[in-house]
Amino acid sequence: MSERLLRIGAPLAVGLLFLLGWEALVRLEQLPPYVLPGPIRVAEALWQDGPSLLGSLLVTLRITLAALAAAVILGGALAILFAQSRLLELSLFPYAVILQVTPIVAIAPLIIIWLKDQVFLSLLVCAWIVAFFPVVANTTLGLNSADRNLVDLFRLYGASRWQTLRYLRMPSALPYFLTGVRISGGLALIGAVVAEFVAGTGGTDTGLASRILEAGYRLQMPRLFAALLLLAATGIGIFAVLSWLARRLIGHWHESALPGEE
Amino acid sequence: MTETPIVALKGVEKRFRQGVLALAGIDLAVAPGSFLSILGPSGCGKSTLLRIIAGLAPPSAGLVQYGESGVERRLGFVFQEPTLMPWASVWDNVYLPLRLAGQGRDAVASRIAETLASLGLEGFEKAYPRELSGGMRMRVSIARALVTEPRLLLLDEPFAALDELTRFRLNEDLLRLWQRHHWTVIFVTHSVFESVFLSSRIVVMTPRPGRLLADLPIALDYPRDAALRTAPRYVEECQRVSRVLSEAAA
Repeated sequence: MSERLLRIGAPLAVGLLFLLGWEALVRLEQLPPYVLPGPIRVAEALWQDGPSLLGSLLVTLRITLAALAAAVILGGALAILFAQSRLLELSLFPYAVILQVTPIVAIAPLIIIWLKDQVFLSLLVCAWIVAFFPVVANTTLGLNSADRNLVDLFRLYGASRWQTLRYLRMPSALPYFLTGVRISGGLALIGAVVAEFVAGTGGTDTGLASRILEAGYRLQMPRLFAALLLLAATGIGIFAVLSWLARRLIGHWHESALPGEE
Repeated sequence: MTETPIVALKGVEKRFRQGVLALAGIDLAVAPGSFLSILGPSGCGKSTLLRIIAGLAPPSAGLVQYGESGVERRLGFVFQEPTLMPWASVWDNVYLPLRLAGQGRDAVASRIAETLASLGLEGFEKAYPRELSGGMRMRVSIARALVTEPRLLLLDEPFAALDELTRFRLNEDLLRLWQRHHWTVIFVTHSVFESVFLSSRIVVMTPRPGRLLADLPIALDYPRDAALRTAPRYVEECQRVSRVLSEAAA
């Protein structure tokens, strides 16, 4: 009980202290809002601009979720393909790594030029490139970490390749896959924002990144902070939902999801 | 031996890729219905030998011959660890070999219930492995090996990690099932007491490279039960086997 209280209370107290210190600093130093708005000003901006910011958030969220879905489906499929053929894994995996380590800001302009009329698609591709690697890498590892004795047992009972995949490798890989998805969720959001920073969405369908840029140009710092707040909350929300999903799927058997010993 | 052995090894040798010679010149014929223990110090190649008999590893030289056709497809194997699927319930773990053979759940339900009951696992069908004690997990592992009604049951130090009381109980249950079903058992262990209690015959192995040093019939009548553990003739047999094992380790 006291452990739980501490778990919630301690970070809450730190946050509250931080906000108080922030507001005090702004007031005492009389900082103008275009340099640093206090938390109260930010809250006001969130209240006033909330509806229009939420519209932009929806745009960003759509890209994020589409990129995450693509990362999960294509990443998972690629990992299963890798698990079927060592040759395929050895020949393709380095390119997945290259795609992962190349900074997205450097590739984004190219993708935007190549897909010039399809803003949504180009943003989606950028976000996907950022997000897909953890799913591929983790799932591949998981598929290859099935218990060796169980692999032998399947062999002893004459299991087909498909049966071994379906009944042994895939369940063994599930915790790894879910870890990958959890990381990818956060990365998809980052990818969506970065891509929009580079691409800039024109017209009516502006995402949160454009709103942040715009607020920056106009020195509307309270609005900028409000948009940042929304982004952070979205990231936390995605992580929480994916963690919940992981617990639902493997909570009954996997160590990572088990409650600690009482 | 007049009966056709259920499995026979001829000149079996195993050399690992690094060049280490693990087994050399193993000749062994196992009579159907016998309970054979392979006894030897750690690292003498007992487990490797068992894997070769199961067809999980090929011998570098020599032959493994099965006495009746199809025996190699009617094997049960129990590993040192329970080796259960943690994501599957007890029932689904035991169902695995039948599922792999393409059998439907409903068709085998009574068979699985019977097997679970024979190992004292009634009421645990829906439990997950992590909810069970080490002894219970091993029971599930044995149930999984028995559910296919194997002709030849191979066990690789299955009880080594269990506490003594649990091991005794499992020894007695295993003997009871063996006498009821008449399968042939090959049991790998490093425990003299365990091998004498269980076996009708013990072969002792020497390490590096693994060779068969001695072939000892155990002249204790079945059925054997807990009372045997304190009987003088049991202690004598243990002493006899123990002396041979010290020779092997020397």
